[in-house]
Amino acid sequence: MRIDIDNSYLAKNPETKSVSFQDSENSKRLGDILDMIGRIAALDFTAVLNPSSKNDVVDAIAVGLNMLSEELNSNVVEKTKLDEVNCKLERFAHTTAHDLKSPLNSIVGLVTILEIALKPDKDSEVHSCLLKIRETTTQMKDLISGILDYSKIAGDEIQKEKIDLNEIIFEVSNLDGILSRAKIEIIDILPTILFNRASMVQVIRNLLDNAVKYSDKKMCLITVRVKEMCDHYQVSISDNGPGIALENQKRIFELFTKVNLSKPDSQGIGLATVRNILETEEEKIWVESSLGEGTVFTFTIKK
Amino acid sequence: MQRKTETITFTILPDNILHIECAPNTIMTLDEGKESTRIGGELVNHQPLPMLCDLTNVVRMTHDCRQHFAGPEHAKIFSKCALIIRSPIAKIIGNFFLGANRPLRPTRLFTDCEEGLKWLKKQ
Repeated sequence: MRIDIDNSYLAKNPETKSVSFQDSENSKRLGDILDMIGRIAALDFTAVLNPSSKNDVVDAIAVGLNMLSEELNSNVVEKTKLDEVNCKLERFAHTTAHDLKSPLNSIVGLVTILEIALKPDKDSEVHSCLLKIRETTTQMKDLISGILDYSKIAGDEIQKEKIDLNEIIFEVSNLDGILSRAKIEIIDILPTILFNRASMVQVIRNLLDNAVKYSDKKMCLITVRVKEMCDHYQVSISDNGPGIALENQKRIFELFTKVNLSKPDSQGIGLATVRNILETEEEKIWVESSLGEGTVFTFTIKK
Repeated sequence: MQRKTETITFTILPDNILHIECAPNTIMTLDEGKESTRIGGELVNHQPLPMLCDLTNVVRMTHDCRQHFAGPEHAKIFSKCALIIRSPIAKIIGNFFLGANRPLRPTRLFTDCEEGLKWLKKQ
C-alpha cells in the first residue's frame, strides 16, 4: 500500500515526515527479522542480523534471533558429530562381533573333538567342564548374533517389499517352535504392509520370543490385534505374562538392559533391536503393562 | 576495592559482593569473558563470592562467551549470581543465558538491583 502525502502538508507538519521515515525504517527492520526467521526455519544458520543502536524491543528481538541461530547451529553441529561417532561405533561393534564368530566356532568344534576323544563319564568333572564350556559358548554366540542383528540395521540399505503380516507371524511361530510353547490368537485381519521382510521377521520374532521366554503361566497366551488409523496401523502383541513394573518400562528398550535377572540367557539386545528397526523407519513402539496383568507391545506401521 | 577494563568495572561491595557493571553498548566476546573471569578471580582472591552482574548496557554476548560464563572456569569466582536486566536486550540475553546455557551456579534475573542484592544476601 502506498500513501501519497501533499508536500505543503508535510511542510506544515514536519513530524509527519519523521513518523513516515520511522515507519519505513521499522518496516525494513521487521522485514529483516522475518527473513531471518525464514532462514532459521530452513535450517540456515549463517545469517546474522545487525541490530541498530536504538537498543529497543526490535533490537532485542534481533539479538534474540541471532542467539537462537547460534544455539541451534551449535546443537546441529554437535548432533552431526554424535551421529558420526554412533555410526563408527556401530560399524566397530559389527566388525568386532563378526570377527569373534570364527574363533568361537573353532572353540565349539574343539569341544566336540574333545568330547569324542575323551568320552568322559557323565558324572565326571571333565564332562561337567565340557558342558559348561558348551553352555558359555552358546551364550556368547547368542550375544554375538544379537550385536550383529542390532548393528547391521544402520549399515544396510533397507529394501522394502509388500509383506503380509499374517504370513510373518505364521512363519516365525512355526520356525521358532513358538506354537509348542504358546497359543497365538490373531483377533483382527492383519494388513499387508510395505517393509523390509527380514527386519519385520526380527521385530515379530523378538516380541513373540519375549512373551514366551518370560511367561510365568503353564500356557503362554499371545494375542495379536491391529487398529487402523488414518495414515498408519497400530499392531499390538499382548501376553498373559508377569507384566513389567512401571519403573522398568522405559529401560527395556535400552541396549544391554536386563530387567528380569532370572533369565540368564537374556542378552538385553532383543527389544533394543526392535526399537532400532522401527525407529530407523520412523515408526514408534511403546509398552503398556501392569505387574501380574501381562504386557502389550504396540508398534506403528505406515500405510 | 575496584578494578576496571575498557568496558567493565569490577567492585567488591561492602557486603562482600562482587559487583560487575558494563559500559554502554558493551559487546561481550570470549576474550572479554575470559579477561573478566581472570580479573574477577584476582579480585575475590579465588574465593567465590555472591555476584551482582548488571547486564543492562550489554548489547551483544557471543555464543562462546555465554558458554564460558556458564562453564566451570567462571563458576570458580562466584557462589551465586543476580543478573540485572533493565533493557530489552539485556532481558533477552539474560533469559537466553539461563535457558540455553544453564550456568553451573544458582543464577536469577532481576530488574531491580535492591531485589538482586537481597537475594544474594540470603543464605
